[in-house]
Amino acid sequence: MAVPDDRAPSPEDVVVLARAAGLPVDETEAARIAASIGPALRGFGAVAGTLPFDLEPATFVSVQNGAKP
Amino acid sequence: MTTEPASLSLTELASAIANKKISSREATQSCLGRIARLQPRLNAFMVVEAEEALQAADAADAALAKGARSGALHGVPLAHKDMYYETGKISTCGSAIRRDFVASTTSTAVQRLRDAGAIRLGTLQMAEFAYGPTGHNAHFGPVRNPWNCDHITGGSSSGSGAAVAARLIFASLGSDTGGSIRMPAHFCGVTGLKTTVGLVSRAGAMPLSQSLDTVGPLARTAEDCALLTGLIAGLDPRDPTTRDAPVPDYLAATQGAVNGLTIGVPSAYYVDDLDADVGRALGDTIATLTREGARVVRVALPEQGPITAAAQIVLAVEAAGFHARWMKERPQDYGPQVLMRLQNALAIPALTYLEALRWRGVALAAHLRAVSGVDAIVAPGAPVPAPTIVESDVGNQPGAEAVIQRLSRFTRPINYLGLPSLSVPAGFSGAGLPIGMQLIGRPFDEATILRIGGAFQRATDFHARRPSLA
Repeated sequence: MAVPDDRAPSPEDVVVLARAAGLPVDETEAARIAASIGPALRGFGAVAGTLPFDLEPATFVSVQNGAKP
Repeated sequence: MTTEPASLSLTELASAIANKKISSREATQSCLGRIARLQPRLNAFMVVEAEEALQAADAADAALAKGARSGALHGVPLAHKDMYYETGKISTCGSAIRRDFVASTTSTAVQRLRDAGAIRLGTLQMAEFAYGPTGHNAHFGPVRNPWNCDHITGGSSSGSGAAVAARLIFASLGSDTGGSIRMPAHFCGVTGLKTTVGLVSRAGAMPLSQSLDTVGPLARTAEDCALLTGLIAGLDPRDPTTRDAPVPDYLAATQGAVNGLTIGVPSAYYVDDLDADVGRALGDTIATLTREGARVVRVALPEQGPITAAAQIVLAVEAAGFHARWMKERPQDYGPQVLMRLQNALAIPALTYLEALRWRGVALAAHLRAVSGVDAIVAPGAPVPAPTIVESDVGNQPGAEAVIQRLSRFTRPINYLGLPSLSVPAGFSGAGLPIGMQLIGRPFDEATILRIGGAFQRATDFHARRPSLA
């Protein structure tokens, strides 16, 4: 499965995102966070941006109870 | 009575008390004696409430003498992970932040056990805010594995795993958001049931991730887990996410055979990069199930990488959502590793989180298509037996997240898919450390995995072995 590198945030990205969340971090923390969560974001990269429009989070409960999405 | 209470399973003890072969006081005193002896070595308990427990035991004995039995757990002493609220009691959630938090409500799961007659013995240690897979706790110290005190218990239900394994208690509620019941079960050699999302109420239980959190038991046997799950499952008006459906007779299910069932072994991911002892235990488990009459086949599951990534994304963001205020106001009061993991969410865009949630139904449907020809999946609980406390004490060092993710590699995808999974003791490493196997079922089909677990435990004795210190 394709793993786009651009899914992983840079430390600079993290600084901006954290500030926007009201939880600013320093450069060292930003580098550590980027390295920690990068693999997950890359791992989800093949799914991100591919989901159809008519799909809601409640689909999960429907499938649990036997529906086919 | 001459039988040592600690040698009994939960179901055996409940029956012995009901039949007046042993008193609730005797059972409670037995637990308290063992706790006094082993707690200094294991650090499994957060609080022991000896006097209150003995008073409750005497009351239970007096009631029974008058013919009044409150339920299936009449007079049975239990203790739970310290995140299940009980009105007027401190629930630390394994944290410094909630060291003095007094709950103003009682969790539905605990209330249902109490209604069935259970007695509160105290509370059990856990990872800080249930956010850690090892059993380390920066505030209260690590819980130690009864099989070898230099090794971890796994987490986050660390005290539950250690206390059940060491026969300090007969069973305990844990919680499982990324493997927090199944990892302590695997590492400590006990049986643990991660329930389907929506089967058991989470009302009054500390939240970590509203999408992934589940409540379930750790005990010695599948039968014990069935007894507890049957009591706590079902619709709860206080938790509208619970399913409105009759609760199956799980205890009866454990008496079934595996003859006629088809059990799948994943062809990849769950069989990759296994420690040799874990690989051997998986092979032995397959042989046992086959010998007992099950048909065991290879199953090609959907690629697990995106599933485990989605699990990590959902957990990170939802956990940070609960903790945002304290992250701003009291960051210094978190342990370094927990704060680090909460901060990971800061790098996840809202769009990615929402996509991870929206994909969940699609991923579950693909999984169910892949397993349409089998009744359950068997897979290891973790790729390795319990590491040492020292080697897993990674704090917030670079690479710490990778260590965490490796330990929970086989459990996290199951949380994302919301499936039930029973972890059963299935062998020991060359160093004498337990190894567990997951039996993974379809949504709300706990009965089938409990049936397989019960049959497996009638054919093996791994669940009955005791650590030498116990």
